[in-house]
Amino acid sequence: MPSTIKVEIKRQSTPDAPATTEKFEIPYRPGMNITSLLGEIALNPVDVTGKPTTPVTYDSNCLEEICGSCAMLINGKATMACSALVDKLTGPNKDQTITLAPLSKFPVVRDLAVDRSVLFENLKKVKAWVPIDGSYDLGAGPRQHPQIQEQRYPLSNCISCTICMEVCPQFNDATGFVGAATIAQTKLFNMDPSGSVLKEERLRALAGDGGIQECGFAQNCVQACPKQLPLTEAISDMGRDVFIQQVKDFFTR
Amino acid sequence: MATTATPAPPTLRGVQPLRAGQGNSFLWHKLHSLSGIVPIGAFLIEHIVSNFETWNGPLAYAKQVLFLNSLPLVRVLEWAFIFIPLAFHALYGVFIAFRGRSNVNVYPWAGNWMYLSQRITGLIAFVYIIQHVWRQRFAGVQLPEHPGAAFAKVQHELANPWMLAIYVIAMIATTWHFSYGIWLFAAKWGITPGDRARKRFGYVCALFGIALCLMGLASIYAVVYKYPNAPADVLPAQTSSLTPGAVVIASEIGPGFSPDITGRERIGL
Repeated sequence: MPSTIKVEIKRQSTPDAPATTEKFEIPYRPGMNITSLLGEIALNPVDVTGKPTTPVTYDSNCLEEICGSCAMLINGKATMACSALVDKLTGPNKDQTITLAPLSKFPVVRDLAVDRSVLFENLKKVKAWVPIDGSYDLGAGPRQHPQIQEQRYPLSNCISCTICMEVCPQFNDATGFVGAATIAQTKLFNMDPSGSVLKEERLRALAGDGGIQECGFAQNCVQACPKQLPLTEAISDMGRDVFIQQVKDFFTR
Repeated sequence: MATTATPAPPTLRGVQPLRAGQGNSFLWHKLHSLSGIVPIGAFLIEHIVSNFETWNGPLAYAKQVLFLNSLPLVRVLEWAFIFIPLAFHALYGVFIAFRGRSNVNVYPWAGNWMYLSQRITGLIAFVYIIQHVWRQRFAGVQLPEHPGAAFAKVQHELANPWMLAIYVIAMIATTWHFSYGIWLFAAKWGITPGDRARKRFGYVCALFGIALCLMGLASIYAVVYKYPNAPADVLPAQTSSLTPGAVVIASEIGPGFSPDITGRERIGL
């Protein structure tokens, strides 16, 4: 059993500062995950040469893979830090260095914290909500059948971690692709008996530049999704609905 | 009174948000996707099936070339359903390919490899088809006027071992691109949304692609090895006029052309 864990962390003090790599050696405790590892560094922020440094900045909240905050590149792959177990990341002899880096497709705020606002802007563009605001009590909503609930529930598990976007070869500066999460939320709210009132607006939004047509069906999203959302199925279904909406609009608007 | 103005969206660094309601890229992408199936995919099937006539020898192939060139409005069909859609599909496809950022080195998953393969096979087909159309359709013997020379023209081309290798690679790349393209079409247009439906259709597309590829490779084999020293023109009367009697003249020559007389000897070289 190893007594320490070697970690290499890509750090950056401001959004425009150059990135540097710092090495740490952390005392091993059984059952550690990456967030507890980063907590150990914060307790004693000293790098491997004994030089004092600052605690590593990273987003986290729930520590149980439900808030979606702590996505980062762990050993180069987009992963949730809270559910990434140290024992599974140090190789067969438990002696390999773990590398941590911020998600590569989002602007760095500091260290491992990135600005993922683009997802929330995208969710606003497709109106990923149920419009129930009013100046009077609208009463109870329409009944939602269990069959619809069963289809919607897996999509409602999205934690907005942006891993599906990070791993997507089409999500980049050139395409400005909207990404799988937003498309899945479009399906979720289009299937809601109350939310479906905005269905046509959502489908029209997804046909804009950077919309669903940019998907190259590499299927990385569905492989990497920590919550196992049926993302490719949602993209396929929305692909059909967006196309039908465009044809309808062409002939009727 | 509370302010009613919506706050201005923040200016973001990095990948920009969805441009809802802007641009025509949806239309161009859908046209690109559809044009790969019809007319280009349909033409590819026709092309490979027609070329398979080489298995039955130079005369059978000449008759197939003559038949295709006897179609009404054949030059219009050629431009409207082959050249123009193919040029659009190719150029827009290159545009799409160079906007992707492949990451199979980090995420070496099957779908991700297929994503990359679709771009690589597309680029191979793009380069190959440019030289293929130039050398076989526009340069050298004009096959619309001399359909009988088709077999010899291809045989002469494939006499170069480098060219033979290029044709074999391009046959595999093109049929790969087309069969995975059918699968992608069904997935992206919402024909096969379910995981199991997509998997099943994957087997169908794979079998179809392999069959098409083997037919194409068999045609290459027939041209290069099965009928060596094909005559330069098996329909010599078929010069510039495509008269119905030409086929009768051709059948008088019959398939029993003498294989020991090369095409060059026959035309007196």
